[in-house]
Amino acid sequence: MPQHTIKRFDEELDKLKELVLAMGGLVERAIGNAVQSMLEQDEALAKATIEQDKEINALEIECDEMTRDILVRRQPAAGDLRFILGIIKVVTDLERMGDLAAGISKAMLNAQSNPPKNFSNLDIMGEKVQKQVKRTLNALSRGDTDLSMKVIGKDQGIDKLYKRMYREMLTYMLEDPREISSSIIVSNVAKNLERISDHATNISEMVVYIARGHDIRHVEHEAAEKMLSGDDS
Amino acid sequence: MKTPKISIHDLKLWYGESEALHGIDVEFAENQVTALIGPSGCGKSTLLRCLNRMNDRISGCRIEGEILLDGDDIYAPEVDVVQLRTHVGMVFQKPNPFPKSIYENVAYAPRIHGLADKGSDMDEVVETALRRASIWNEVKDKLNTPGTSLSGGQQQRLCIARTIAVKPNVILMDEPCSALDPIATAKIEELIDELKGEFTIIMVTHSMQQAARISDQTAFFYMGDLIEFGETGKIFTQPAKQQTEDYITGRFG
Repeated sequence: MPQHTIKRFDEELDKLKELVLAMGGLVERAIGNAVQSMLEQDEALAKATIEQDKEINALEIECDEMTRDILVRRQPAAGDLRFILGIIKVVTDLERMGDLAAGISKAMLNAQSNPPKNFSNLDIMGEKVQKQVKRTLNALSRGDTDLSMKVIGKDQGIDKLYKRMYREMLTYMLEDPREISSSIIVSNVAKNLERISDHATNISEMVVYIARGHDIRHVEHEAAEKMLSGDDS
Repeated sequence: MKTPKISIHDLKLWYGESEALHGIDVEFAENQVTALIGPSGCGKSTLLRCLNRMNDRISGCRIEGEILLDGDDIYAPEVDVVQLRTHVGMVFQKPNPFPKSIYENVAYAPRIHGLADKGSDMDEVVETALRRASIWNEVKDKLNTPGTSLSGGQQQRLCIARTIAVKPNVILMDEPCSALDPIATAKIEELIDELKGEFTIIMVTHSMQQAARISDQTAFFYMGDLIEFGETGKIFTQPAKQQTEDYITGRFG
């Protein structure tokens, strides 16, 4: 795409994108650290993860200030407008993902009196969700709608994984009441990961909106695919 | 899209040897505001002036193709251009009231077209036009003062009153706000929004924000071609053509 006649506008858009991706990078790391702190019962890592959430929150504010400034000063249209609208939503999703990651570390710290020992497939789920987050950030960085659609398509697998773990935890609880508190913690952590994947999906939907102008939220996956293949004319 | 008020088919226009419009096909809907946008020299004002045959007066100007107003060709030999211009009124960039009283500015055209006589009939025509142009309250106590004594924004609304006094169907506006301050501009925009209930309005504007604010349809012209035409919300959020995108996002090359 050619550059804006007003070069400063290009610089502002680039800066905003950099900030959002930096925020995404922090979120990605926070998720990895949060899961690791739980699996390895690493208290120091948990505390650091909770502390780092403040940086994510600060970046949210900074991004919002930039988008507000661009809206007021540049009155963006078309692709620029979609980018700004998309970023406003993406930033909110990223901030929530950061909170959910910090929540995992908080749960770890709160359970120190009776720490869980059986983590079921939490490690696998953690890896899969991190992969989803990495993919959605790459899609955002490159405006890659194929990759976005892949992220959206893979969310169902994460949901299934969560349900399976939930049922498994339920079984432990039924078998042995002493497992209840530990199983609830693991189930909640899995729930947080499942929610993080949902937010990654939201971001991928925004990538499609930014790149192509189609709003595919609340649209069946096949119908969304059709929408995207329909405007190659 | 609503019923077309104006249909343009394969319109080509030459100024001497140079072709300024390269075969335009477009329909302007009734009771809608259509904004014509594009860089200087793209043909938007040329097209606007074709709609009430203002180009007839330019020597060396030649057109091909067809412009239908309510299905009738406005370039047909039997068309009376003066009559045509009562149906298709025009408001210009710079307010241009006659050097006459406010009252006479509005009464002039209805009188020569025999729409009203002197006296209370004419008073009513003048008042109605001034009211519809949202300027009655500001001028009702000084109808005999010169139109040129009003502020720029008031003069422009007076010109709109003068245009609508002869009950046109279509109002053409050529950058009607470019000489006005933001408050006067907002009043004109508010007025355009009210007037579209009765008139079909086609407006050339260099302000994309203005086009986005007040038009229902937007047509983007570039170098004598109509690049894209569509619903304004769509054009400004999801234009189909790269050239439109580049223009409205300020990537002028």
